Amino acid sequence: MVNDFVRNLIYFVLFVLIQVLFLNHIYFLRLATPFLYLYFLLKLPNGMARSRMLFLAFFTGLTIDAFTNTPGMHAAACTLVGFIREPLIQFLTGKDLPEGVYPSFRSFGYGGFFRYSLTLVAIHHLVLFGIESLSLFDPLFLILRIVGSVGMTTLLVFAVEAFNVESQRSGEKP
Amino acid sequence: MRKLLDFIVRKRHWFLFVALEIACLVLIYQNSTYQRSVLISTTNVITGHIASLSGNVSGFFNMRTINRELAEKNGELELKLLQLQSRIEEIQARGVSFDGLATDSARIFPYRFIMAQVKNNSVTQLSNYITINKGEKDGIVPQMGVVSEGGVVGIVSLVSDHFSVVLPVLNPKFRLSCKVLGSNYAGSLVWDGRNARYAQLKELPRHVEFQKGDTVVTSGYSAIFPTGIIIGTVADYRREHDDNFYSLEIELSTNFQALDYVRVLINEEQAEQRMLEKEVKKDGK
Repeated sequence: MVNDFVRNLIYFVLFVLIQVLFLNHIYFLRLATPFLYLYFLLKLPNGMARSRMLFLAFFTGLTIDAFTNTPGMHAAACTLVGFIREPLIQFLTGKDLPEGVYPSFRSFGYGGFFRYSLTLVAIHHLVLFGIESLSLFDPLFLILRIVGSVGMTTLLVFAVEAFNVESQRSGEKP
Repeated sequence: MRKLLDFIVRKRHWFLFVALEIACLVLIYQNSTYQRSVLISTTNVITGHIASLSGNVSGFFNMRTINRELAEKNGELELKLLQLQSRIEEIQARGVSFDGLATDSARIFPYRFIMAQVKNNSVTQLSNYITINKGEKDGIVPQMGVVSEGGVVGIVSLVSDHFSVVLPVLNPKFRLSCKVLGSNYAGSLVWDGRNARYAQLKELPRHVEFQKGDTVVTSGYSAIFPTGIIIGTVADYRREHDDNFYSLEIELSTNFQALDYVRVLINEEQAEQRMLEKEVKKDGK
């Protein structure tokens, strides 16, 4: 329990810092910005109390919002991710996953983890860019931005996951 | 009743979810007006300092470019000063001057500026913001203009004790009245969210004469910027839908990607002009 808390805190601080200090300034081909901080939400342990999950997701989004001066945008997208994470895990992997397992290549399989992260990233980006386009609507540009950013975020999530020592060592942690 | 309570307890995360999303929407809605919360922004003490970490690093790497730009600007200004001096001498030599002639010394140029350093800057989002390291304690209030050595940067929108957030040209909420140098018809400058090098000048009457490469400057109507601060040059133009106006593609002269030191313009007469305009509006209704 305490271990879990410390681990989550480290993940949170690390990925929020990476996001606000580096990734927010990336603008690939003037289209795509990766939002790697989602990796923190992706890697929360399975079977977490759903209200706690929601609060965590909301707070994460709000933190990113504070750095990008966009109150509510990331928070709205993250809250939705926090809400559908658990039903999605059940849908993708069946109900036999023990509680407290961190989603990873080991526990989900490569295909499973890919589907899992791609779905959540896509939902998050759809909401985020959707809200953003309320201030300026430009359909083609919007679609390009979403596709580009989803691709980049998923790619980064995979790269980080591949080098993540923790998930290689304790993918089956009870 | 008990079943209802049971239902509510069992499905409490649904209610929590709806409540949190509503909170987000309220925040988003509030953000679309000028009054915003200082807490969830980079003017906050904690976020301001963390965000300035990356600003400091990129500021270091941009030093060389900024130095060169400053030197160029300095040379330009020196040249202009020389020209003006010779003009003044010429006019003084020609004009009649006598001891009784007193220039209006009570009327001074109402603008002065405060230097500030950019601490956090983005050009990658649709709604970009810039955080600078001067705030209320340094005399900055919302609605002040911000310029760099290149030209117009934006307008101060949010102020805390030591930081302020600037709404730059690269934000769909930004509007600025400006004109093509040499004509007096104003259009409105907006950004279409695509390219950080270009912005659009809309609603410029069709009879205004201009060419590609002409300079676009502020009109000075809003009391935020003085007249004649450079925004950019005309890169392209086309007619708008109703055919009576031109829409111009403006290549911005400010390099938003490498912004380090900016100047916040303080207009001593801004409050007075604003009050007057407000009063007229009130009487009109």
